[in-house]
Amino acid sequence: MNSTLILTIVILAGLGLILALLLYFVAQKFKVEEDPRVGKVEECLPGANCGGCGFAGCHDFAVTSCAAPDLSRHYCPVGGDPVMQQVAAILGYKVEAKAPQVAVVRCNGTCTARPRTNTYQGVQSCKAKAWLYAGDTACQFGCLGCGDCVAACKFGALSMDPQTGLPVVDQEKCTACGACTGACPKNLIELRAKGPRGMRMVVVCRNQDKGPVAKKACANACIGCGLCVKTCTHDAIVLENNLAYIDFTKCKLCRECEAVCPAGSIIGVNFPKPLDKEAVKARIAARKAAAAAVKEESK
Amino acid sequence: MKKITFSIGGVHPNDCKLAADRPIEVLPIPETLYVSMAQHLGAPAKPVVSVGDKVKTGQVIAEPGGFISAFVHSPASGTVKSIAPRADLAGRMVPHIEIAVEGDEWAEGIDTSDALIAEIPEDRAMMLERIKNCGVVGLGGATFPTHVKLNPAPGSPAAEALLINGAECEPFLTSDYRLMLESPKPILIGASIMQKILGGPKCYICIEDNKPQAIKVMGEALEELGFSNMVVQPLLKKYPQGGEKQLIQAVMRREVGSGALPISVGAVVQNVSTAFAVYEAVQKNKPLITNVLTVTGDCLPVEKQHNYRFRIGMPLSYIASYAGGIPTEAAKIVSGGPMMGRAIANIEAAAVKGSSSLLYLKESTTRRWTESACIRCGRCSEACPMGLEPFLLNRLYKGGLTDELEKNAVQDCIECGCCLYSCPAGIPLLDNVRQAKLQVMGIIRARAAAAKAAAGQANK
Amino acid sequence: MAESYIVSGNPHWHAPVSTKRLMLDVIIALCPAVIVSFLYYGWSEILVMAESIAFCVLLEWAITRFLMKKPSTIGDLSAVVTGMLLAMNLPSGISWWIVLIGAVVSIGVAKMTFGGLGQNIFNPAITGRVFLLVSFPAQMTTWPVPSGFIHNVDAFSGATLLQQVKILGAADADALVSLQTLFTNIGGSAGEISAIALLAGWLYLVCRRVIKPWITLSIFATVACVAAVFHAVNPELYTGALFNLLTGGVVLGACFMATDYVTSPMSTWGGVVFGFGIGFILMMIRYFGSYPEGMSFAILLMNMAVPLINMAFHQKKYGRK
Repeated sequence: MNSTLILTIVILAGLGLILALLLYFVAQKFKVEEDPRVGKVEECLPGANCGGCGFAGCHDFAVTSCAAPDLSRHYCPVGGDPVMQQVAAILGYKVEAKAPQVAVVRCNGTCTARPRTNTYQGVQSCKAKAWLYAGDTACQFGCLGCGDCVAACKFGALSMDPQTGLPVVDQEKCTACGACTGACPKNLIELRAKGPRGMRMVVVCRNQDKGPVAKKACANACIGCGLCVKTCTHDAIVLENNLAYIDFTKCKLCRECEAVCPAGSIIGVNFPKPLDKEAVKARIAARKAAAAAVKEESK
Repeated sequence: MKKITFSIGGVHPNDCKLAADRPIEVLPIPETLYVSMAQHLGAPAKPVVSVGDKVKTGQVIAEPGGFISAFVHSPASGTVKSIAPRADLAGRMVPHIEIAVEGDEWAEGIDTSDALIAEIPEDRAMMLERIKNCGVVGLGGATFPTHVKLNPAPGSPAAEALLINGAECEPFLTSDYRLMLESPKPILIGASIMQKILGGPKCYICIEDNKPQAIKVMGEALEELGFSNMVVQPLLKKYPQGGEKQLIQAVMRREVGSGALPISVGAVVQNVSTAFAVYEAVQKNKPLITNVLTVTGDCLPVEKQHNYRFRIGMPLSYIASYAGGIPTEAAKIVSGGPMMGRAIANIEAAAVKGSSSLLYLKESTTRRWTESACIRCGRCSEACPMGLEPFLLNRLYKGGLTDELEKNAVQDCIECGCCLYSCPAGIPLLDNVRQAKLQVMGIIRARAAAAKAAAGQANK
Repeated sequence: MAESYIVSGNPHWHAPVSTKRLMLDVIIALCPAVIVSFLYYGWSEILVMAESIAFCVLLEWAITRFLMKKPSTIGDLSAVVTGMLLAMNLPSGISWWIVLIGAVVSIGVAKMTFGGLGQNIFNPAITGRVFLLVSFPAQMTTWPVPSGFIHNVDAFSGATLLQQVKILGAADADALVSLQTLFTNIGGSAGEISAIALLAGWLYLVCRRVIKPWITLSIFATVACVAAVFHAVNPELYTGALFNLLTGGVVLGACFMATDYVTSPMSTWGGVVFGFGIGFILMMIRYFGSYPEGMSFAILLMNMAVPLINMAFHQKKYGRK
């Protein structure tokens, strides 16, 4: 009885020892040499593996950044400047600060603004829907509303608003990784500078049809009238294919374009006060009158 | 003759040929026509007229925009009112030439008589040229330019068989059937012309056995014309028999390799209405500006169903209202059959060369089922005529495994719809498989382009 | 004219075959066997059947509703089928709490833990039966004397033919079975009592194209071949082909359990291999195992091999080698 017990213990312990040794030697034999900095870099990264940097996940970012001669091709949009400073410190490189960005949905074709012409049935995917046809409304540029962007977001920053049928970006959660911009088949989502205290001006429309066609399809559509371009004193707005676009690097947030836009497709967000349209319009009129007076005088 | 069919997969939907006994009527021309520049597969055509020009019926109004492209002709005489983007049936903006119709005066050199010209010219190049100049495209669904298909690239194998596709395996559609009944001889002469162009392969007129009348009429016409190297080949009814690859397999017992063209196994497939268009082009110099379209559906009484000969550029809404309006029960309007047709998102869209039907489907017929769990019954793989496993492809697509998708031949999918049609759980298989296919095709193309670029680099 | 028309990808209609319809067909196919066992065992059989179905459906409803927080899936009738199959494996007159345990194992453990219909690896009804057989061997193998409306049974109270083999020896047991057995009856649980009723149901399923016949035929063929070979070698030790085909759960298992979509291979040849595996394991258990019957174990073992079989056998692809 006793001897059996001892024998069992001895055999099991021996077996364990032999296998442990085997494992040890195998681990030694197949050990992969890795730059010790890779682990350190990876520790600073957010670890979301979102691919926003253009590499296949955080590990790939770390490996390639250690091998790269500088950090010009490496930027982690999720971690932003603080993380990049840490990475640069580890690798002994320098990085320039970049302005924080945020995803912006450029469609305001809410359920009430865009009359429906069709009903979609099938798999709930914008990609599949976009392959099939232009969309449920007469606007072929607008949001399809199946939420491919929501599914693409790894940070839970996007959600569909059931009221409007459009995606909404949670600015706090958005890391500007850019996954949603690639997921949208209509190319509606853009990464734009977050702006001082979050204040920014956006043309919330991508409709390139001529004015009347666009207006008929959607009450909130940009009709390409060009009033904003004429008003802007910072040369920040361009009109191309019947569509206005605000260059956020030039915009000075004066909100004049918002005041003059007849379609209401230019929207300023996060401003502390609501826009006093009449006051801004009066300001523009006064400036124009002064300019005309100067012109008259020079004649 | 023994009835044959293809051996892999296939389904047997109810054929619903409700408009089969309705003769072809000619539609009157409306006041305005909108001619799309994307009437065919390949590059859109380029307009050669400008606003204000007077055009005659059959006059060229747009020329090919590339190698795979086709001429477009004016469907009526009148004035070019505008050249502007207009929404097609999917609601996408496509350039259209708008013509204010003033009459139906044909351009010179076109034989508009009804006389049958049975004698076939000898000059092969002339015939090809006419087919090209008359803008003939494949009318079986793909609208691939016919002159390109009839003139295989140098180095490809010789054509051994010309298959004239009169299978019309899609339920509801009867336009090919009516054409076979009403113009059997022009179809056969057109087939004979193509035979001659291809260097004399054996020609099979393939008709499914649910159309015994067509088999009989075509057989009699063939006897009267006395073409020797041509037979009427009856087929067992099975969908998708009219698919190019399936038809070749059924008749020739050969399989076209993945990504290869039918000519690689010595086959050329042309639809019966294409054969008719070839006859008109070669024998009468008549450009392709008309085709036959079926107005049908499960919510239309038979007396309201029609087969119409329409002119390209007629708004579908005009055809619908001429036929008696869209029935109130219609929940979906399809251009084409219920298996492979395209849902119409914009009824104001203009008819194109390849339009084959206005199909009204009831809500109860066309409604997609609520998706439930896959019960692994294997019906989708049993139905797939390409021998794929849609349930597996669906799963791989959801997992984003593109390598596995390619290994499982997702790029071979012909989008026939058999998988979704037969899935008891109502899983949107084809919706996902199609996306997977597009994704994998993109990867394959990118790889080929990269290889080509690398080869170019090496040569330098 | 409607305001907005539906747009979707092709195809634009659907074959009139839904999961629910398929399950309904299986229920219809099981009815002859249920009726026959009702005629033999009377109302007690119907009671067990009703209990089993009710427990299975209620459990599935409760699990989807309260644990998985998903819309209920009882509408697809698969729980009813599981309930019926479970009941057909139980002796009539068995206590309700044993039926409940069987339902818990079938639905709760074998089906819903894997995610519900379509996700399970093992056939739920067989898992339930095997659990009960191992846990309550006495209750599970006590067959009541037929007390229904037909009394021409060569009643084996307490032991089935297969158990007779272990008691009487192969040769004597063999003599008890002839082709007539097919039409009269075999003692045992509801699912075992009438081979002809089960085969009629199976034929209905095959004709309706609900299932393909290959798995079933492969099992029958394997059982017959293995038994014939062994019987030829030593008829004193090994029972013959006919005996093995008509006794125990072979017919029920081959017709209704092994052909379950979820737990069987998809391809035809995969099905043939699956059937061969079941038949072979079954005969090995019968001849050399300590249990008199092994159909359930054979099916469960082969269920495990299904993913492998599916990997090995693919459809012939068009234009590819």
